[in-house]
Amino acid sequence: MVDVNEALTRQVAALARLELSENEVKTFSSQLSQIIKYVEKLQEVDVKGVEPLSHPIDLPTPLRPDVVLASPTDLEGKPKVLQAAPEVLYDGFKVPPIL
Amino acid sequence: MHPEFEAVIGLEVHCQLATETKIFCSCPARIPADQSVSEIAVNSNTCPICAGHPGTLPVLNQKVVEFAIQAGLATHSRINLKNRFARKHYFYPDLPKGYQISQFELPICENGWLNIETDAGPKKIQIQRIHMEEDAGKNVHMSGFSLVNLNRAGVPLIEIVTGPDMKTADEAGAYLRALYAVVTYLGICDGNLQEGNFRCDANVSVMPKGSTVFGTRTEIKNVNSFRFVEKAIEYEIARQIEVIRSGGRVVLETRTYDSDKDITISMRSKEEAQDYRYFTEPDLIPLTIDEAWIRKIESGLPELPEQMKSRLVSSLGLSVYDAGVLTGSKTLAEFFDRVVHKLGNPALAKPAANWVTGEVSRLINEQGIEIQQSRILPEHIADLVRLVHDQVLSSTAAKQVLALVWNSGEAVEVIVDREGLKQVSDVGSLDPIIQRVIEGNAKQAADFRSGKDKLLGFFVGQVMKESGGKANPALLGELIKKKLLG
Amino acid sequence: MANLSSFRTVRDVHSAFESKKISPVELTQDYLNAAKKSEIGAYLTICEDVALQQARAAEALIQRQGRVPCLEYPLLGIPLGIKDNLNMDGVKTTCASKMLENYVAPYTATCVSRLQKSGAVTLGKLNLDEFAMGGSNENSAFGPVRHPTHPDRVPGGSSGGSAAAVRANLCFGSLGSDTGGSIRLPASYCGVVGMKPTYGRVSRFGLVAFASSLDQVGPFAQTVEDAALLMDVMSGYDPLDSTSIPQEKMNTYAATQTAPEWSQIRIGVPKEYFVGGLTPAVEQSIQASLKWFEKQGAQLVPISLPHTEYAVSVYYVVAVSEASSNLARYDGIRFGMRPAASDQAKDLNDFYMKSRSLFGPEVKRRIILGTFALSSGYSEAYFQRACQVRRKIVGDFNDAFQKVDLIVGPVSPTTAFKLGEKSSDPLKMYLNDIFTIPANLAGLPALSVPCGIDEEGLPIGLHLMAAPFQEDRLVSAAHAFQNGSLFGKV
Repeated sequence: MVDVNEALTRQVAALARLELSENEVKTFSSQLSQIIKYVEKLQEVDVKGVEPLSHPIDLPTPLRPDVVLASPTDLEGKPKVLQAAPEVLYDGFKVPPIL
Repeated sequence: MHPEFEAVIGLEVHCQLATETKIFCSCPARIPADQSVSEIAVNSNTCPICAGHPGTLPVLNQKVVEFAIQAGLATHSRINLKNRFARKHYFYPDLPKGYQISQFELPICENGWLNIETDAGPKKIQIQRIHMEEDAGKNVHMSGFSLVNLNRAGVPLIEIVTGPDMKTADEAGAYLRALYAVVTYLGICDGNLQEGNFRCDANVSVMPKGSTVFGTRTEIKNVNSFRFVEKAIEYEIARQIEVIRSGGRVVLETRTYDSDKDITISMRSKEEAQDYRYFTEPDLIPLTIDEAWIRKIESGLPELPEQMKSRLVSSLGLSVYDAGVLTGSKTLAEFFDRVVHKLGNPALAKPAANWVTGEVSRLINEQGIEIQQSRILPEHIADLVRLVHDQVLSSTAAKQVLALVWNSGEAVEVIVDREGLKQVSDVGSLDPIIQRVIEGNAKQAADFRSGKDKLLGFFVGQVMKESGGKANPALLGELIKKKLLG
Repeated sequence: MANLSSFRTVRDVHSAFESKKISPVELTQDYLNAAKKSEIGAYLTICEDVALQQARAAEALIQRQGRVPCLEYPLLGIPLGIKDNLNMDGVKTTCASKMLENYVAPYTATCVSRLQKSGAVTLGKLNLDEFAMGGSNENSAFGPVRHPTHPDRVPGGSSGGSAAAVRANLCFGSLGSDTGGSIRLPASYCGVVGMKPTYGRVSRFGLVAFASSLDQVGPFAQTVEDAALLMDVMSGYDPLDSTSIPQEKMNTYAATQTAPEWSQIRIGVPKEYFVGGLTPAVEQSIQASLKWFEKQGAQLVPISLPHTEYAVSVYYVVAVSEASSNLARYDGIRFGMRPAASDQAKDLNDFYMKSRSLFGPEVKRRIILGTFALSSGYSEAYFQRACQVRRKIVGDFNDAFQKVDLIVGPVSPTTAFKLGEKSSDPLKMYLNDIFTIPANLAGLPALSVPCGIDEEGLPIGLHLMAAPFQEDRLVSAAHAFQNGSLFGKV
């Protein structure tokens, strides 16, 4: 069984880009270890040859015709998606330097 | 390459599909032919779906599936009747949802191949898989910050992955050109290399000659010119051999190609590589494709480069080389086909091919444009070929005409008449010139008569000069010989 | 001000409109006033202008036609509340998270726009557990919702605001979302009807995703009849949701208008749902309800759902895995809040860490758990295996529905618990969902209908499940139960 220690909690949190305080690391790793221990019972089920179920419905995916619908704009004709952004410059979403 | 080593190369090509809309939403995906990406207003082709807003969901574009099936059929791949989509996770500002919708298990095509020409003859390159996925947006780097433009986010791609089948940069280049020809013939890719329509990642490793165990590979990311891919691979092979020969070991890593310096540079090592956490995309139920749909798409496939090439060789008698050059570019091949059609005489296909692969290609390559963007029409070339064949134009004069057509687009006849470039094949008008030249070069005439045959060329040249280059050279030789000896 | 509790059904309201006892604008104004005055924390946003505008339009229509055109506008003038994880164009969708505190949605969820098109008045947005993660509504970044009749208790979650608001007459009906019981649990705790339709019945477009393969939108109402009416309006194929099922327009409302043929109905009673853990009051109420069905002529059939004991494990692996993925988009780049610290980030990685620090503890916990379950080296043992066991659970139901038409049992082992009682022990909280989770794993329609109260007067819910697409059966039986049994009326 997996040992959910603080190092693993830190490592997984980093993978998910979550910054945890020392306290959170402690609490989470003990809670997670408890939960993992509980779900460990899944290992006792015989699942040989069972295809994993990803969707509760068994239908083919619908397909969309390749027809352009104009992207939504606001009253001034600006792309509507810019309205919700924390920081916009020259109509781009502003982020810290990447390089 | 160092004689004790051999290289192993596998390629992954990201090919942008020429659909009108994005893969999972109805935003425009295609840049109009008369515009470039930079002319499209930032984030204007972006909606809540491709910007990954809360609550939005993907719906698959039918055309994307159709195009991917076409790519599969053209590369002799098996089309999977059941397809799954998967989420591939990583954090980057140009990736709106924090994951890319791609395919992992059950991609649309598997187990295909493509033939390439090598020095040692034709070679089959295995295509392991072709899968559909969405492109990311673009980060524009400024000083002190970056700006994210999502116009490209959600644009449909197919990723075409080969086996580790190539051994040299030339083979890699040949494969890329062959694949490029296939997708552009199909019309599923606009093929604009500058705009990144066709991007290549190369996996390169080296091993001692004859070994069956591959060396550690490096991946060269995102090169978008065939020549640069070849150069990057050449450099990388040499670099890896050098590392090994000097006692080091090659590190599994991602590298980028710097075309200015012609070197590859390490980006990040794979050890610190991302854990993509693939899992089946719950928002898209598996796609099912029925045989009837595949057959319908198959019946609508255009002639492919390989087929056209054998047609050019077998029914028009072109050399394999010329046929290869012509069919390597869809636009050139189409142009050539129309020239042959205008000529209406298969016997003239060969000289026509020489024109198209020679002068015409030289001119368009110089300008870096496609033939269709120039003023040259198939009838221009057909006329030139016919006039040369009928000995109305000398080939020198024909090249002059072509240069003028290039600038003005005028009809060949008009130019020939105006410039007075018709060959003189009239004995009566050539006779006095020949007479004059022989009289003016008495010593050479005597030498010729005493057996110096080579001097014939001298006389032909002199007469040609006097005639202003318009004399028919074949006829001229005959006339001069007769005059000197007769 | 009218006595809002005097209207039990939409039909009552419409006849009050027609007899001019109250006008749509007055009714809406009354609900808005009640919502503003209320101290249970059910609303996060009140859309007064939008609501009054809709009410005036309804009023004008009734005046013009001299009656309520209820065929075209079945919800004309009916004031509803919307869980704050469903988008309404131009209105904030916070998901009760700091992360989206300022997020104004640029489009309307399909289910909400269908309600609006059928004449409904949308009063505002209702509180929930952050990103719908929780069973008590204590995980809201903007304060918990209190139980409408017992303020020291929780209303259940995650759609706590939706259930409490209906019970407290702060809206006539409401929408919630149900990923593992998030509609049925609070409906049970608050003593209202809550229904989760078959997966794919109602479009998820515009529902902020928690776990995509489990989430479904559903209604809350005082009566089964009105829940059915809301369902009928919302359901139907939506080309914007690939998991939406191509289907005929539903008419479950009609199923409430004819009495069930009890002799044809076999009710499955799973032995796994009665194995201890139920409080005596819950156990008693459920047993009494089963007897009622039997008395009507229905056949009670003991059945077994052998993989029930794994349901919570499967759920907490699958749901958190999908959630960790669905919540990757919250990075403060394109929408939502960006904390000041993000702008001081030393690199891109740090930027993400800072921006994503606005999630509350339960959300963080689940993201970490889900990231773990999907990560390389663990995904096979956890995520893949959970998906395999999920198929086994679906198999249990397939077998059971060969033998029975409905499965009946408790919604929750207990009634509403005290605020703070379970918040320090996430596992204990998760185990509370044991009876509701299986329907989500299998995509089944299920509902909670009030069936009694405990010694403290806290409501108890009866849980009915049916095979996929058998909402008719569910609604017909539940409606009869609510109108005919002694316990069905709270």
